[in-house]
Amino acid sequence: MRYVKWTFWLLVLTVVFGFLHYTLPQRDIVRIVNTYEERQDLTDWTRLFWSVPDDQSTSLSNRDVQFIQAVKANGKTMVYRNEDTGWGWPPYFKFDTANLYTEANDAKSTKANPEWVAIRHYGWRNEFLSIFPNAVGIKPVAGPDVRLIPWGNIVILGGVALFFLFLWRLWAQFRERAIDPLLEDAGETWDAVDERADRARGRFRGWLDSWRGKPRR
Amino acid sequence: MIALIRLGIFGLIGLTVLYFLVSWYSRSVRRERLEGWADEKIAEGELEQAARDAYIEDGMRDYDASLRKKLILGVYVVPIIAVTVVIYVTNFM
Repeated sequence: MRYVKWTFWLLVLTVVFGFLHYTLPQRDIVRIVNTYEERQDLTDWTRLFWSVPDDQSTSLSNRDVQFIQAVKANGKTMVYRNEDTGWGWPPYFKFDTANLYTEANDAKSTKANPEWVAIRHYGWRNEFLSIFPNAVGIKPVAGPDVRLIPWGNIVILGGVALFFLFLWRLWAQFRERAIDPLLEDAGETWDAVDERADRARGRFRGWLDSWRGKPRR
Repeated sequence: MIALIRLGIFGLIGLTVLYFLVSWYSRSVRRERLEGWADEKIAEGELEQAARDAYIEDGMRDYDASLRKKLILGVYVVPIIAVTVVIYVTNFM
């Protein structure tokens, strides 16, 4: 039973961490090498890793998606998709896909003369599922070793923590002010019922005993 | 367009639930504090035991007229500002 409990909580923790890791913004410092556009089939379950930029896109079985190809300082490659999130989830409210594509093209550089940029993005790259993180912003930085402080994440996670702190306080207050008095009432009522039952039983016992010639108490 | 309306409707529902939760919590904490103050005053002899309920109801009437209660409307205002800031940062910065 203990293992079931552990497994359950481990699973919950994994899902929560995975959700946050997918949704919250991250920044990579990369060199943009190229951009391309490719038609994507969006009919299987991996559809959920692509955006829903407008309502008609849900009925399309495939559409063109822009991509940004980049190389990190350590030589590893990264490919980002470039899609509107619109008013949907996650709430980045990105509408400037075409502008971002232009910026990305403007920031292309060669290995010999690198131009470093920080790409803000969310999502995961997975080769087996063919999914890509969505680029949200491009900002030029001085070099590949610049230290970036994730203010956005600090604020968001702080807000989430505050929200759960409030829910916890709310529950404590609700229990103290609304449930406990009710339970006390219920307890008192139950005691009264119990007492009355005891008294009735006493009377019944007395009546029975009166047949056996014992005096009533 | 439909996505914007959807966001608006679900956002409004979610924020309204949050608004009622925060108001209930704030009222409850205030009432609890007033009960504490009343009991203190009774212990010090400044308040009659019979006037305890009136003292608390008086305090709650003050609370209903207070700025603190109106500030809870920030539950609606803050997310709208946050969304506006995110839209600006993502698209125009």
